[in-house]
Amino acid sequence: METLKFEFPAGQSPRGRALVGGVGSGDLEVLLEPGEAGMLRLNVVTSVNGSAARWQNLFERMFREQTPPALNIEIHDFGATPGVVRLRLEQGLEELQLEGAFHD
Amino acid sequence: MKPVPRPHDLLWGFIPEQLPTTAPQWAFAAVASGEPVVVRRAEGKPGVVAVGIRGHGREERFGTWMALDRIVRSLSPEQLVSAIKSYPADLPALKALIWAKPCLDATGLVWGVTGSAGFQLATGIRTLHADSDLDLLMRAPAPLSRSQALALLNKLDKAPCRLDIQLETPQGGIALREWAQSSHRVLLKRASGACLVTDPWHLVEIAA
Repeated sequence: METLKFEFPAGQSPRGRALVGGVGSGDLEVLLEPGEAGMLRLNVVTSVNGSAARWQNLFERMFREQTPPALNIEIHDFGATPGVVRLRLEQGLEELQLEGAFHD
Repeated sequence: MKPVPRPHDLLWGFIPEQLPTTAPQWAFAAVASGEPVVVRRAEGKPGVVAVGIRGHGREERFGTWMALDRIVRSLSPEQLVSAIKSYPADLPALKALIWAKPCLDATGLVWGVTGSAGFQLATGIRTLHADSDLDLLMRAPAPLSRSQALALLNKLDKAPCRLDIQLETPQGGIALREWAQSSHRVLLKRASGACLVTDPWHLVEIAA
């Protein structure tokens, strides 16, 4: 078990929260909650040791393409592949948007 | 013709010579002792199947390929169900299996045992721990509604340990727990990779 923390520049804080994924092996659970404006904080608890650089690379690639919203993201990883991590993050952001649309 | 191996099937006949030299030492040891390998979900060349080798440590998993003509014996998850009776239920995951069986049988769907519990039932090697989840597979050739999934999960969540149930649709595998929840799309695991879909039985869109 390893706990890793990451920070990235972000936009505005969205409303609502979202929980996607699951705790089965090869999957991950992602909880997204509104964060401090301008800041994206990720807290990763992973069953795979020595994976800090891999997470850093994955997040950098994802958030370089598009500025993320200001969130606190809690990740519980159970050995998911980078492809699955990316899909789960995208899914979480999508769920937040859908929830935002519902509130508007 | 032998049936084509499906994800989670256990296969015997893998020999150490089939492993790449880069494979970890524990993988050689596992294979040399005659332990089965587990079919993975991945696309390979014709004549080979993607398999995973389990080590005895928690994170010891090694993915590789097995030539189909090397298979000497195979067991599917559903074939392991009959082994339940003869196994001492001394761990929460095995107690949960006995507990869940009538409920799973009542669904009318074909179901089976995967993960550590399946490996232990098939080999007698103690791979389960006191805190192990129980991994199960259910074959769902026809759509199961989200409300049906939730009703089933609500019954099964009273089990003595956490159940991790995969629904196997004709398109791939999804987590029953995720299908029972409210997210717009769910993660579908396919041989070509994972993707997010709204209907895991009918792929009108591949969103990955």
